[in-house]
Amino acid sequence: MSPSATHTSMFYGTDRDYAAEAGGFLRDGLERGHRTLVMAPPSRTELLRSELGNDADEVTFVDDSIAYAPQWNAYRVLLDFAAAAPDVRSCVIAEQRFGRRTPAELVDYRRLESAINLVFAEHPVDLLCPYDTALPSDLLDIAVHSHGGMRRGGSVAANPGFQDPLAMLTDLSAVAVPPVGSTTLDCTQHSDVALVRRSVRARGAEIGLDADVVADVVLALTEVLTNALLHGSPPALVHLYDEDGMWVCHVQDGGGPPVDVLSGVVPPAQPADHGYGLWLARQLVSAVDVGSNPTGTHVRLHTRRP
Amino acid sequence: MILGTHRAPSDLGSMEPGTHLCALEQGSARLDRVAATFVAQGLAAGDQVLYIASEQEVGELLRVLPGNLDARQAVGTGQLMTSSFGDAYGSSRPEDLATVADGFRAAAGLARKRGFPGLRVAARMDPLADLLGSFDEVVEWERMAGGLQRELEVSSVCLYDAGALVEGQGAALASEHDGLAPDLDVPPIATFLAVDEPWGLRVTGEVDVSNRDLLHRMVQSRAAVVPRLRLDLAGLTFADVGTVARLRSIAAALPDSGYLVLAQVPAVVRRILDATGLGHDRLRLEP
Repeated sequence: MSPSATHTSMFYGTDRDYAAEAGGFLRDGLERGHRTLVMAPPSRTELLRSELGNDADEVTFVDDSIAYAPQWNAYRVLLDFAAAAPDVRSCVIAEQRFGRRTPAELVDYRRLESAINLVFAEHPVDLLCPYDTALPSDLLDIAVHSHGGMRRGGSVAANPGFQDPLAMLTDLSAVAVPPVGSTTLDCTQHSDVALVRRSVRARGAEIGLDADVVADVVLALTEVLTNALLHGSPPALVHLYDEDGMWVCHVQDGGGPPVDVLSGVVPPAQPADHGYGLWLARQLVSAVDVGSNPTGTHVRLHTRRP
Repeated sequence: MILGTHRAPSDLGSMEPGTHLCALEQGSARLDRVAATFVAQGLAAGDQVLYIASEQEVGELLRVLPGNLDARQAVGTGQLMTSSFGDAYGSSRPEDLATVADGFRAAAGLARKRGFPGLRVAARMDPLADLLGSFDEVVEWERMAGGLQRELEVSSVCLYDAGALVEGQGAALASEHDGLAPDLDVPPIATFLAVDEPWGLRVTGEVDVSNRDLLHRMVQSRAAVVPRLRLDLAGLTFADVGTVARLRSIAAALPDSGYLVLAQVPAVVRRILDATGLGHDRLRLEP
């Protein structure tokens, strides 16, 4: 048994394929005394329950509408599950329903599947991500490039398409330039954060977002802007614009310490006074881009437009 | 602000404790306004404020204080205290400035004992020249007061009617202060007012990186007196995760018998607590 994590994808075309492959993965785990967790849509969960029979009682099921709401929450579900019995290996099935995805959300999903290789590298966990072969090619592409192994017919083979996660995350952190016509708010003093909130609330209501959604955006933006004021160099700017169906709140500061590609993908391990900002932002909006270059540190918060 | 002063505050809310300001304004009405601004900002920041003025001037202050400060409650909890000049400084020339210093020291200590993070004083100074006998003695007094207040971390504004001063006196007074108090009232984004029953405080407005230190020092000052407190958050319209995380830390550091109750918790705070899991046995949510 390897002490480190494995991250494996599998393709299925029919319910029967799915039940046999994913069910076999769980049964193998149970036979070895591993703990088992399934984060999946209800339709998949039903297939696994009937495939496993009484053995299904040993499995923890979490509905994808909870585990992936938002998608970065899946890391916390995983961490919490692993923390309950840190010395026992876990077998985890991770799959979410894919409705309409904007380009920004797709990029963030690619990050999620890539970063998991690094975040959980030292955890005793075997992750299996089932992909329906009927999914669009850009999603199947993620299955091919982000998983170290591929499961087929009950056995796992090394995946020749696997790409170095750090290199992929670095590629995905390229800085985007705010488009011409953006509204830009200047924020140099701590007292400016309240003024920015007021403008963003007004703008959110104007474009027809629900009050709850606006409240989440305002909180996420406050966190990112606070980081910029405390850790970046002035001035901090907030650019507001639309892009590919998303409303973007883009925070740019004058630069600071280099940003780790994994910053804010998991919460602080212990309760702390600091360190929640970026992680909380990922829990509140549809997608978050983080990058830095000589123009400064850039964080983009994406919200679906109504 | 006076050129060359190094302690001039950028705003009254987060002013460094021990700042010694003055106001040189023509006529009582303008002085009333400067006094009200100073008192309102001090109360909003959670400090105890002492206003030394005549009965009529006190009445005027209570009339013009903004409604959200609830002047009557502030008087009831002792967060706002008023005193006549005679009661504060005596009716005859003090023999020794050390007795005045003792009075200041006792007042600052009492503020902390009653659960306030600090004391601020606004004083109408026009009777002082009569008490001390000469303008030079007033200047001498102000020099002593400035040093003492820095030591005790008591901020103040000394209110002088410029109409009663002759040429050169204004400049002499100003040079004994850290700056001029503003008369333009920019309302703070939050107010933190003491509540006695149940022991704690009431928070209204928005708390973020610009003012969360004010909230935390007030919660800690209240907790130092009675470690069982209730924060009435009915009027809280925004808080960031840093604010909530620090409240959790304060609750975690209370003695076993202590607790910090969050009452009328707004959606944004529940959202933060749910998302971060920043709970603690001694951080209790009142439904």
